[in-house]
Amino acid sequence: MPLTFIDIEKQKSWRISFLFSFLLLIYFCLSITLFQSYFILSALFSESGLMKLWNQPEYLLISLAFSLIVAIIHFRFSAFGAVKSVMHSIGASLPDPEDGIHKRLMNIMEEIHIVTGNRRHMKCMVIPSLSMNAVAAADLKGEAVIAITEGLLSRLTRPQLEAVVAHEAYHILSEDCLETTVATSLFGMYASAVEKLEDFGYEDFRGFHPGFLLFWILLKLSFILSMFISREREYRADAASVRMTRNPLAMAEALHLLSRNWTGVGMISSGLEMLCIVSPQTTDLDESEGWWADLMSTHPPIRKRIEILLRMAHASISEFEEKADSKTEIQDISDDGGTIYYALNAWHKWQGPYGITELSTLRWLSPLTWISVVPGRRVERASENGLINALFTNRLNQGKEELSRFTCPSCKHPLVTVSYEKTRAYRCSFCRGILVENDKVPRIIARREKKCPDRIKSLAKAVVTDNQRAVVIKKLKGTDIKTKPLMICSQCKNPMFRTFYSLAYMIEIDRCGVCGVTWFDPDELEMLQCIIENKITPDAEL
Amino acid sequence: MAGWILIAVTALFVLWMILIYNGLITLRNEVKNAWCQIDVQLKRRHDLIPNLVSVVKGYMEFERDTLEKVVSARAKALSAAGLHDRAVAEDLLTLALGRLFAVVENYPLLKSNENVMQLQEELTSTENRISFARQLYNDLVANFRTKLEVFPDKIIAFLFAFGTAEYFSAEKSDRDLPAADISIRRK
Repeated sequence: MPLTFIDIEKQKSWRISFLFSFLLLIYFCLSITLFQSYFILSALFSESGLMKLWNQPEYLLISLAFSLIVAIIHFRFSAFGAVKSVMHSIGASLPDPEDGIHKRLMNIMEEIHIVTGNRRHMKCMVIPSLSMNAVAAADLKGEAVIAITEGLLSRLTRPQLEAVVAHEAYHILSEDCLETTVATSLFGMYASAVEKLEDFGYEDFRGFHPGFLLFWILLKLSFILSMFISREREYRADAASVRMTRNPLAMAEALHLLSRNWTGVGMISSGLEMLCIVSPQTTDLDESEGWWADLMSTHPPIRKRIEILLRMAHASISEFEEKADSKTEIQDISDDGGTIYYALNAWHKWQGPYGITELSTLRWLSPLTWISVVPGRRVERASENGLINALFTNRLNQGKEELSRFTCPSCKHPLVTVSYEKTRAYRCSFCRGILVENDKVPRIIARREKKCPDRIKSLAKAVVTDNQRAVVIKKLKGTDIKTKPLMICSQCKNPMFRTFYSLAYMIEIDRCGVCGVTWFDPDELEMLQCIIENKITPDAEL
Repeated sequence: MAGWILIAVTALFVLWMILIYNGLITLRNEVKNAWCQIDVQLKRRHDLIPNLVSVVKGYMEFERDTLEKVVSARAKALSAAGLHDRAVAEDLLTLALGRLFAVVENYPLLKSNENVMQLQEELTSTENRISFARQLYNDLVANFRTKLEVFPDKIIAFLFAFGTAEYFSAEKSDRDLPAADISIRRK
């Protein structure tokens, strides 16, 4: 793992030249194959005798020379203006310095330039989309851009945004980005050519020729190559980001947020997914491990990335503890047999050590606060710790709220029974998500007492359109829409599956098949109601 | 013939020395540049603080103490000489500012003040820039120091009397730990 930017610099030079020569080799082979098959085909149709042409060495030379020329021209155009065309295709624009949030992004960009020693000028851009994703691109002209969607900008805290920008900056500095951007624009042409072949070639068998087979194999090989690199470099970028910001937890939080939210499928075309921080089209493969997944997926499982980050957090907290231990006497603090706690406050500074009683009086302690327990020294969310979670339950009890037998699948907080649209539902008083028993869901969505706010309406429209696109793209590619086990049901401890409410109402929800309950993240239930009430349909353009 | 070989060997030796010398000079300049960057950012922070204090003053009648600490920490940081002393003084200033912002959280009026929020963002950014510039500087110093010690650069460094560079940190190690504020709790 490269530690400093000096190391990254050293490492990248040989890697990039090796990879480039390899990619170029594949590229030339592809062009030659294409021309070969074209000549063979035309020879077949003209019936001038295939063997005669094939035997002439001039023919081979001519096709080689021709493909070289085309390759060079193509390379020149695709690799030089790549950043501009990528940014144009996703509609990114420069941030507005008058805007507070954009200003913050610009400041962070400036900070990142400082930590990397101003070695490379990187621009930041904003993508006007509600989805949550970040893209980095670089080309041979030396242009480099980090683009972040409005949705992500508005939902991340400052430390989280720093972590994300640092992650992307690593991709640019290590030239990962140059490789992928160029590979994307180089192979994009062939990819679409092959996709067309796959659609029509097999039925109309005369159009299919053994020449294409080699071409097809080469193309698949090039994909595997770029994907293989992509997976391990995400880990490295995470590590570099931590090295820069010294804040593994912010990165972990940002990844968690990204994994739960809509990452903008339709907006970012499948060719560009290698440039994103999380893959816009999460598949089963992305979330699984093993050599096949390692080989074929562009991004490592988020779960594993978070796990690694938490381990790093553990390392950084033990350093902090050493510092703190020397200043205070632990014995004074702990009041239940030697267990002490550290907690991370809103400014991402570790505070402590605390005893359990002291911890319970902290006003800013929430189920999502990161804590570190000594002994054991695991870094976890406060809600994952039984003892601390009991504190929260206590607080709720004092508030005279009616507690239900359910707990929140994301913050492990006991859910409070509430009346929603005149029926019973369970709300998490912390994250505001809602749990509904399956038989009550139709009742809720049939009723509508309050009017649907404009914010929900536009959000629902965007989400539905995007999900529709994702489904269409997946169908075109011949892959199934599969459910993703992302949470664990608090009742039966079985995985809950993240899936569409139905194919007519494409809002993603988490469902436990065993207990028959559905969990709605904040806004999800409102969006579902809104869709049904206002008859929102996805925009048809694709 | 032997004369030619001798000349060739000497020429190669000189070339080699020049290369190493140039490498060392480049590194030293990088370190210098990184130091300038820290200096710029520290100055930026010192300039921002009076603005913040004048805006916040009106609202925080009961927090005179916290404000005064920031002002005096700034004065100390301005007058500190020597790399180590400056590092210590700047760390104290960081701590004082952190406490001030923690207090600001308790004043809804201040939190809703556009001016204060802007200043806070600027200061947070500067704070980050300082720690990032420091990180880079210390990395470069570490790199430079290793170069000075390894063979054969060591000989050249000795011949041309290259001085070593000092880390910018309050402690022996250059690890920039999350600032632990234990004293707040003990109040």
